[in-house]
Amino acid sequence: MIVLREVSYTYPEAADPALHGIELNLQPGSITGVVGASGAGKTTLAKVIAGFLPRVDGGELTGTVCVAGRNLAELSLVEAVGQVGLVIQNPFNQISGAKYTVREEIAFGMENLGTPRAEMAARVKQVAALLRISDLLDRSPYALSGGQMQLVAIASMLVLRTPVLVMDEPTSQLDPFGTRLVFAVLDQLQQAGTTVVIFEHKLELLQAHADRLLVLAGHTIVADGSPTEVLADERVDGWAIGSTRYTRAARLARGRGLLPVHGALPVSFEQAAATFGGAR
Amino acid sequence: MSSTLYVERASPIHRLNPVTKLVALLCLLVVVFAIPQWWASLAVLLLVIVPAAISSGVAARLARSAGQLLLPILVVLVLVQGLTYPGGRTVLWQWGPLALTTEGLMFALTIGARLVCLVLASVLLVLTTHPGDLMSALTEQGMSPKFAYIISSTLQLIPSFQARATSILLAQQARGLTVPSNPLRRLGVLMPLLGPLVLGMFTDIEERSTAMEARGFGSTARRTTLVPVRDTRAQRVARWVIPVLALAAILVSLRWIG
Repeated sequence: MIVLREVSYTYPEAADPALHGIELNLQPGSITGVVGASGAGKTTLAKVIAGFLPRVDGGELTGTVCVAGRNLAELSLVEAVGQVGLVIQNPFNQISGAKYTVREEIAFGMENLGTPRAEMAARVKQVAALLRISDLLDRSPYALSGGQMQLVAIASMLVLRTPVLVMDEPTSQLDPFGTRLVFAVLDQLQQAGTTVVIFEHKLELLQAHADRLLVLAGHTIVADGSPTEVLADERVDGWAIGSTRYTRAARLARGRGLLPVHGALPVSFEQAAATFGGAR
Repeated sequence: MSSTLYVERASPIHRLNPVTKLVALLCLLVVVFAIPQWWASLAVLLLVIVPAAISSGVAARLARSAGQLLLPILVVLVLVQGLTYPGGRTVLWQWGPLALTTEGLMFALTIGARLVCLVLASVLLVLTTHPGDLMSALTEQGMSPKFAYIISSTLQLIPSFQARATSILLAQQARGLTVPSNPLRRLGVLMPLLGPLVLGMFTDIEERSTAMEARGFGSTARRTTLVPVRDTRAQRVARWVIPVLALAAILVSLRWIG
């Protein structure tokens, strides 16, 4: 579905590339998590996959980015955004500012694409119910909290039903309930065949929901595998991505002599249950 | 937090189609600037703008917003034109080379009345028209959505600029910045904050542009609207009648008043 071959990207007037040597092949209907320290190139990779770079800033892209077998460089931006939806990091900037109510704000993208009114109304209702924001539909988009605004920003992209959805830190302003809700929605999207690429820091949720986890460090992919494999990698501390709460708890227990000194640390709830159950 | 200057009310002025209001505004401005007499502006002010402001329910807000803008301009206008108008002959008061003349005051009155009409009518449009409705209405009239968005988003520039400036100032105050009460010193302290303010606005604009494109804003498809902008047959007729009336007023003033 998404294939990146030898992709490097350098911003205009930058001496060094923000991304280099990116090789990626993502299957349709998969959820891929991408983690990395600040400045590792996550937002750049999100915008490259969505087809915005180099179009919007004129940087230099080498290699090829293909979505559904089509080279993004050969598509217009409108064609590209029809294939890949992008939820940007700051929900405040995802709001168009041109709409009076949340209902109209969510429909804004469909209006641009000429979707019939009845279909727009039905899709808005459906996506609002999915994200549990139906009670916000008649409010002003600017009268929302940061978390509510983030859910509206996500809804405004989900409603476009693109085959690929790229989400750049979509839960940064959400409370734990909202965060779990977004990940539950991702599971539903996956079942409907949508390919999701999510750039996130919440490792436990990525471990539980993603099929695959990529680690960006030094502007390239340094690890690629199932979340459990990647998070158990012995190099994980060097990537500065943190660790799951299960790993941290096991480290603490090991430090206090409650767990054996040797052996792999748990990265998931199931592994932690087995580890601590075994120790008891 | 609101990102627009729009004030929600259920008034007849609010219910008008934004294009009707825009046509009326443009015609009104053409009239006050084409007819050289001060009383023409005063008539427009008293017969059109003031009743519209009162019936819209935003008169107090209009007076406050426009007053802040107009007061310093009018004071400077009266002082400069009243005291230094080159064609001034009827001296009312003199102090050294400065002479307050009737001609100068009349000139200031003419220009000032026009400015009052311009500012009050424009601010009234902004206060009673949601930018989204303006954008939808202009797009429905065949204007390019990008151009319509530029016009409607301009109306939001002031509040979002204020919100960002406030957050930068608060952040700096949290780090020990004290803002003196003396206006000149205050200016000196606040000037360095302009850099982050302007840079932040540019970053926001770039990111919002990406978000807009991600939502098909660049599409050439015929746009649809979820909620149609209110319009009536009477307003469609009015949009043709108002310019004709404005032209007639100008021709009458040129022919019989001079």
